[in-house]
Amino acid sequence: MDEQQLLKDIASREYGEGFETNIRQEFIPKGLSESTIRLISSKKGEPQWLLDFRLDAFRKWQRMTPPRWGHLSRLPEIDFQDIIYYAAPVRDEDRPTEIDPELEKTFDKLGIPLREREALAGVKPKSSVAVDAVFDSVSVSTTFRQHLAEKGIIFCSFGEAVQNYPDLVRKYLATVVPSGDNFYAALNSAVFSDGSFCYIPKGVKCPMDLSSYFRINAAGTGQFERTLIVADEGSSLSYMEGCTAPMRDTNQLHAAVVEIIVEKDADVRYSTVQNWYPGDKEGRGGILNLVTKRGLCKEGAHLSWTQVETGSAITWKYPSTILQGDNSTSEFYSVALTNNWQQADTGTKMIHVGRNTRSRIVSKGISAGHSDNSYRGLVRVMPGAENARNYSECDSLLLGSNCGAHTFPVIRSQNATAQVEHEATTSKISEDQLFYCNQRGISPEEATALIVGGYAKEVLSRLPMEFAVEAKKLLSVNLEGAIG
Amino acid sequence: MNRIYIAGIDEIPQRCTLEDNDLLQITIVCPPGYSSDINFAIDLLRPGVQLDLAGLYFCTRGERQNFNITVRHMVGGATSHQLFKGILGQGGSAVFDGLIHVAPGAGQTVATQQNHSILLDSASSSETHPQLEIYADDVECSHGATVGALNEDELFYLRSRGIPEDEARRMQILSFLSPVLNRLPEDKQKFLLDRL
Repeated sequence: MDEQQLLKDIASREYGEGFETNIRQEFIPKGLSESTIRLISSKKGEPQWLLDFRLDAFRKWQRMTPPRWGHLSRLPEIDFQDIIYYAAPVRDEDRPTEIDPELEKTFDKLGIPLREREALAGVKPKSSVAVDAVFDSVSVSTTFRQHLAEKGIIFCSFGEAVQNYPDLVRKYLATVVPSGDNFYAALNSAVFSDGSFCYIPKGVKCPMDLSSYFRINAAGTGQFERTLIVADEGSSLSYMEGCTAPMRDTNQLHAAVVEIIVEKDADVRYSTVQNWYPGDKEGRGGILNLVTKRGLCKEGAHLSWTQVETGSAITWKYPSTILQGDNSTSEFYSVALTNNWQQADTGTKMIHVGRNTRSRIVSKGISAGHSDNSYRGLVRVMPGAENARNYSECDSLLLGSNCGAHTFPVIRSQNATAQVEHEATTSKISEDQLFYCNQRGISPEEATALIVGGYAKEVLSRLPMEFAVEAKKLLSVNLEGAIG
Repeated sequence: MNRIYIAGIDEIPQRCTLEDNDLLQITIVCPPGYSSDINFAIDLLRPGVQLDLAGLYFCTRGERQNFNITVRHMVGGATSHQLFKGILGQGGSAVFDGLIHVAPGAGQTVATQQNHSILLDSASSSETHPQLEIYADDVECSHGATVGALNEDELFYLRSRGIPEDEARRMQILSFLSPVLNRLPEDKQKFLLDRL
């Protein structure tokens, strides 16, 4: 088949989650000022300390300039006064405690059941995943809360956590990502609307996977959610995050902050399947995904990041780990796929502070169409990190001759007993591999999907079951008809 | 053609192009006792040319070594190999910034880059930025970087055979450096070894 034709085919694939929900929503006026922040804070009935935190972050943000060091030539100048910072579905006054059926339908369509039907009927739930569903600026529902509460696990929206567990929130908020950390983190700290809060008590193994699902619906808005996860001593948790948005011609901003505190000997797995609307084949519209994610590992703790990035017009994301405690370990597994005019600048930071800390980075980039895909990472070994160990592997795969693949790692070692290794390769699918498949009757398209699947397998196999299935589907849909 | 530059003695060109020669070998040496900033950019302009670039650096007693190496593949079909090795001790530090750039349309490019450094003590530090910027699909590019210490098992092996520790460490360092050291003529090797 004609190579050019095939490449065009990938570009014309459909984005299945691009529908819009018609629902009555409440907006605040466009623009950003102290009064916007006061308005958001009062809408959520927040205590004074949180308002002070927001205002402090806002003042820091005003003195900052947007970072331009990313390899993201298509990142537009964002007019922060042209964004609606709060949009929420209006609750039906007759049924104040129930979820709007329209909303429920929306999430059902996205494959996220908001009702615990099977569980209530006494049947074993089909999928044992508790979901916190965030629609624009508010969390609409959190499932299986009762079940989790029996074990002492707190899983709720950030807003509820502020009301019900203010001490916990206050103790941990902004301890990993300070409010003035970077431009977008400061913006998020000032205007964040909702997100998920999760606390696993000492020694508890979370019986089911927890997940957050973020949906942008309203036009002209930005989503600024904040997730705070605390795993107390010896606990373990698997957390998943998913996201989608409607198809629009204009860019929408998504600037999230995720903070994870992994206490002594605790174990957290954080998985993301990012499927924001990537823009159309001419590169119009799409989500600008500019997020800050960071975890802090205490003694003997373990944090694992797994991400599958297929969406967003612009991705600027570096899930990082501070290995503060001795013997703590962290991993970062990533598959980033860019197509059409998408640009991704993503990677990780591993900061070794404690002794005998270990980290492993596996990043797989796939670029097609006119896209640019960059890995940017930092491995830092502080002077006290005796016997620290890092291994990084970054591979890039190019499909088509108009795309770019880049690698920008930084290795900074200040300890002689540390061992740091980094390797990276860039290649395309070889003629030999394709020929081998073709002569066995596998079409070029299938062969490409097969080879890419094999290439990404090391990362996909790290995902929880439910997610792995979705991620594989996403990769194959995005690569339909692709041939290098 | 084999060109050897020793920092502090020879003048190192900042920019050059590779067009006429089929194979160009360049070796850059930064001897101990000398801090330097080395900016070196080379453009590969003709298909079929081969660049073989190697470097060696020692940083001791608070010296700082800066490398800024750019290899640009402007046309397809060219090959480049880079190998940089460094020894850092007694508070020495080095920053290695190496970029391989493959221009759009420069298919059939083969480019590799390796940077290995050994930290002799924790007062020293090493920073490495091995970068790839690739705008063509039919390429084979790779880079590798390691930072570590001298292998304790090797040291034990040598010492158990009656070699004193200092001598054993010297042997380890020499074997680590030998791939680049062997590219130098004997007199220059001797010049370096006397300063180790």
